[in-house]
Amino acid sequence: MSMFEGIPVDVGVIYEGERIRRKDMYVELGGPNIKEKFELTRVKKPEEVEDGKVSIIGSDIKDMEEGKSYPLGILIEVAGPKLEPELEGVIERRIHEYCNFIEGFMHLNQRYDIWLRLSKKSFQKGLNSFQYIGKVLHTLFKSELPIIEKMQVTFITDPEKVKELYNEALQIYEARDARARGLKDEEVDKFYGCVLCQSFAPTHVCVITPQRYSNCGAISWFDGRAAASIDPKGPVFPIEKGELLDPVKGEFSGVNETAKKRTLGEITKVWLYTAFGYPHTSCGCFEGVAFYIPEVDGFGIIHRGYKDIAVNGLPFSTLADSTAGGRQVDGFHGISIEYMRSPKFLQADGGWKRVVWIPKEVKERVKDFIPTELVGKIATEEDAKTIDELKAFLKERNHPIVEQWKEEVVAVEEAVPAEAVEEMAPGPIITAPTLPITAGGFKIILKDAKIYAKKVIIRQIKTEKSKKR
Amino acid sequence: MSRKNVHLKVDEFKGNIGLIKNLEISIGKIIEEKWEEPMGPTPFPSLTTLRDWDFKLLQRFKPFYLPFCDVCCLCTFGKCDLTGNKRGACGLNMSAQQSRIVLLACCIGAATHIGHARHLVEHLIEEFGRRHPVDVGGVNVEVEAPVTRLVCGIKPETLGDLEAALDYCENQLTHLLSITHTGQEGSNLDFESKVFHAGMIDQVGMEIADLAQISAYGFPKANPEAPLVELGFGAIDIQKPVILCIGHNVPPAIGIVDYLTENGLQGEVEVCGLCCTAHDITRYNPKAKIVGPISWQLRFVRSGVPDVVIVDEQCIRTDILIEAQKVKAPFIATSEKNCQGLEDRTHDSPDKIVEDLVTGKVPGVLILDPEKAGEVAVRVAIEVMPRRGKFKVIPNVENVIEEAKRCRQCDKCRRACPNDLPIPEAMKAAVEGNLEKLNELYDACIGCARCEHACPENIPVHNFIVKAAEKKMKAETFKVRAGRGPIQDVEIRNVGGPIVLGEIPGVVAFVGCANYPKGGKEIAEMVMEFAKRRFIVVTSGCAAMSAGMYKNEEGKTPYEIYSGDFDAGGILNVGSCVSNPHIAGAAIKIASIFAKRKLRANYEEIADYVLNRVGAVGVAWGAMSQKAASIASGFWRLGVPVIVGPHGIKYRRMLLGRADKQEDWYVYDARTGEKVYVGPTPEHLFYAAETKEEAMVMIAKLCMRPNDTTKGRAIKLTHYIDLHKRLYGIMPEDIHLFVRTIADVPVTMKDEIIKILEKKDWKETVIPDPTLLPRLIRKKKE
Repeated sequence: MSMFEGIPVDVGVIYEGERIRRKDMYVELGGPNIKEKFELTRVKKPEEVEDGKVSIIGSDIKDMEEGKSYPLGILIEVAGPKLEPELEGVIERRIHEYCNFIEGFMHLNQRYDIWLRLSKKSFQKGLNSFQYIGKVLHTLFKSELPIIEKMQVTFITDPEKVKELYNEALQIYEARDARARGLKDEEVDKFYGCVLCQSFAPTHVCVITPQRYSNCGAISWFDGRAAASIDPKGPVFPIEKGELLDPVKGEFSGVNETAKKRTLGEITKVWLYTAFGYPHTSCGCFEGVAFYIPEVDGFGIIHRGYKDIAVNGLPFSTLADSTAGGRQVDGFHGISIEYMRSPKFLQADGGWKRVVWIPKEVKERVKDFIPTELVGKIATEEDAKTIDELKAFLKERNHPIVEQWKEEVVAVEEAVPAEAVEEMAPGPIITAPTLPITAGGFKIILKDAKIYAKKVIIRQIKTEKSKKR
Repeated sequence: MSRKNVHLKVDEFKGNIGLIKNLEISIGKIIEEKWEEPMGPTPFPSLTTLRDWDFKLLQRFKPFYLPFCDVCCLCTFGKCDLTGNKRGACGLNMSAQQSRIVLLACCIGAATHIGHARHLVEHLIEEFGRRHPVDVGGVNVEVEAPVTRLVCGIKPETLGDLEAALDYCENQLTHLLSITHTGQEGSNLDFESKVFHAGMIDQVGMEIADLAQISAYGFPKANPEAPLVELGFGAIDIQKPVILCIGHNVPPAIGIVDYLTENGLQGEVEVCGLCCTAHDITRYNPKAKIVGPISWQLRFVRSGVPDVVIVDEQCIRTDILIEAQKVKAPFIATSEKNCQGLEDRTHDSPDKIVEDLVTGKVPGVLILDPEKAGEVAVRVAIEVMPRRGKFKVIPNVENVIEEAKRCRQCDKCRRACPNDLPIPEAMKAAVEGNLEKLNELYDACIGCARCEHACPENIPVHNFIVKAAEKKMKAETFKVRAGRGPIQDVEIRNVGGPIVLGEIPGVVAFVGCANYPKGGKEIAEMVMEFAKRRFIVVTSGCAAMSAGMYKNEEGKTPYEIYSGDFDAGGILNVGSCVSNPHIAGAAIKIASIFAKRKLRANYEEIADYVLNRVGAVGVAWGAMSQKAASIASGFWRLGVPVIVGPHGIKYRRMLLGRADKQEDWYVYDARTGEKVYVGPTPEHLFYAAETKEEAMVMIAKLCMRPNDTTKGRAIKLTHYIDLHKRLYGIMPEDIHLFVRTIADVPVTMKDEIIKILEKKDWKETVIPDPTLLPRLIRKKKE
């Protein structure tokens, strides 16, 4: 027997990417034409929730006029002994996913920005009431998140009521965000680890803290907490912080132990807030790379979507290559965009004061989190395309890193280019000086010599570039 | 840079370092090495280097032989009857003989691509110089030759560098072909291992051909937004002189386009193509047009539209000269491999050749200089068009009805038809003036004309079908995205995670020829279905054309509806046959770029990675040629399963896994070293499906890999179950084999599936870090 007996349309993962165009839609709920709309999850006391109840305040779908847009609020109230208000956001985000499983029902965005459409086809099949939607949501939430013991769903379409609850919801989102943003690594006992990426980066363990998002940008500390309690056997697990060994670099005994255990001893020490020494490992799906530029003693940042080459002449793919695969690479650091918004961002290295170059697109996205006095001093691709241009820009704008240059005498060691090997002329005679024979003070006399080689391999000799800090 | 056979001779030299007299240095090969990655374990593998890996695959995916012919007649001992347990005069049994023929086919296929590559590389070196850089995508494609790097361990940077890899391919090919001689290999498994080897070197050969032409001719370089080009019979402007190019090797067609450009004739002459040459002209000039797959040869030529027919090599009807003569279209052969008995006029003056062709003094010529061929083709087309007046051999309706009366209903045509089309019935209806049934045959007709040759009355059956479907045929106007070439490194990075974790349910490549059981429309339907399901859909060759021959209610074709990105829900045409290694290359790059596995000469490890983690499946729905056979075998060795259409059983054997044998489906968990049962993922390596429906269910199923995360497996299972239910009407019988933990079960089917699991006595297993190679088990560090 199907889980969705009695639902007039099909329910399945395959409908997730379905888009419903205006001409195919029966009604639209929320969306750009409607000012007030929302979806909200609240954790309640068990006695306040009637499991399986679906209520509708206002008109139901069948009472709506074809082709019109209506306001909508979706309120999901849940109860269960292990549920905490911190999990509200995580549960709420599943509304999007589960609504989209319903054939002919499209859900976009979240929170106060929701946009839903019901297709004519599915309406004709009989999907004409929120009761059905509510039932599907109830079944999926209960089946997927066993920590939810009771759940009731309310659909609100009465414009007055939506308006009233909308304002309330906005305050709840704001409070939630403030709490999330304000939560510090120091204030929690547990971090969360994720080993999802070990299948391609066997020595990578993501350490997710309130102030350090997962490298992929997809898992916050709250998400980690939810995932670990929902699926204790899954790839996300709690890490006991243990002893704080270095508050600036971000070294915790518990993190070190976990890293050692989960990487079979490959990684023994992790410093969370720096790109040097024992930086956090990089997987393969990080959103960006912070890369050290020795010539200016600062960091450049490049993100996945940046198509051009970075200021140091390398594209994202090469820079990503320098750090990916679960390694700790001095000066190359895979990061999430959200981490750039954290006060702990490269804390030990000087944070934003050490950042000298960043693509414009990312700069715009994180602008509010860059100290105001630095915003104009960090170059983008519009300001500098080469290291020389970058140096000039930083000097001109008086970036704090310029002070550093005076303090340290930076000996920039240029790699000695190996002598370019010219393609040999096809003729039989080649002048002897090109022969790789070194003769320290001796005279070499070769007479009637014949040298045969099956293969000669010419390798460029590179001098090691020292990475400075 | 690499150079072969360098000799230095110094008669006398006196200098600071000393005196040198009569010094001779002879160096077999100079390699300048700029690639920092250390050499891997298997550079330039020999016939047996990867035998262990092959045997691992063959142990799991056992050859299942389908003798297409029961006897062997390759030597004068024969014919030898090999039925039952008999052995031939040389001692060979049936299974070894079948795999021997497979090897022979794959050698032919590989030789064709490698020969093609050699010709292109030589020609392009002559034109652009040895030092012309290999550039197939600028900074977006740093791993420019994943297959060559993986197999040979070299990193080609210039056209000249490509020769080293070709030397290797030719060397291996000679050895491989020699194995099929009487009295050599006796074990079918060793033959099969060599089939894999042939497929692997074929991939190198194809990659080199495409790298060379993309770099030198400036084809789209890993561009997801390569231009949309026109496709279809109806897209050709018959008011203009029309030049039809058929084949695979593009230089003569480039010669035509260049001549038009240099002489300000663009727009005056219509340049169109059939088969892969068509893809490659549009990659050079998006204004050129594609008529369609190879099966359009006869219908297009007989319709009288082309004023000149110019052929290069491969998959060309060998009677096309005769067909061209029937419509009075001058014919130009341009390849040493396909001279058609014509006089070699390479060194004649173009004026003379043009005159001979235009006046009909000769029906055709052989011109082995692509530029000259281009000039002659254009000039002849312009001059001959008014003379021949689009002369055609397609009869009018009255003729069809009249001539159909000669039909004796002997059924010979139907028996000759590879798709068993009901031609006699259609003839009967035609006699009564009803051409509708003939019209219905058109879609499934592969244009082989065997019906005509079988007919004792010499009725031009194919012409009748074409006439009956004329309206439909002339309305064929579609769009296809010009072949984009490789996949960008950044695209790989973006989708590497979701693919390896299983969240993008799979990469499905529709490749190969047009020997379809029910017409090319099935390709378009499959392509759309999987793109809609947010698989990554890749196309190449004739299949890429068929994929475009579909329109939705808004008149848009699949390439317009879906993006050309290598991402969930994208449909990308990589290009012609020789572009296929970009698909293999994408799988290789997932392992090397995304997962940082060492690439250089590290075949076994990368193949192990792909087999266990990359949910890719190849579909050659109309596979016809020996090239298609070798292309498929290149994918097998890399761990990518291939599905063929019903005609594919004529390749003589399948590689089928046995889901019921639990012992076949164990891998090592690289974290612990323990052996773990992972279920039949993927279940088969080479499978022939009888219907489109069967193929679609199998595609979804073969995308499963041991490494899938629970979320990924749930998504893959959802597609498998959903397609199975929709197309077969029931739940699949084997769901329990693909569920490792309850979290694998698709959310929306939980109740139903848990009941099935209980009934099947299912037990939970772990999800390992899977590998078949004990050496990859990680050592714990203390």
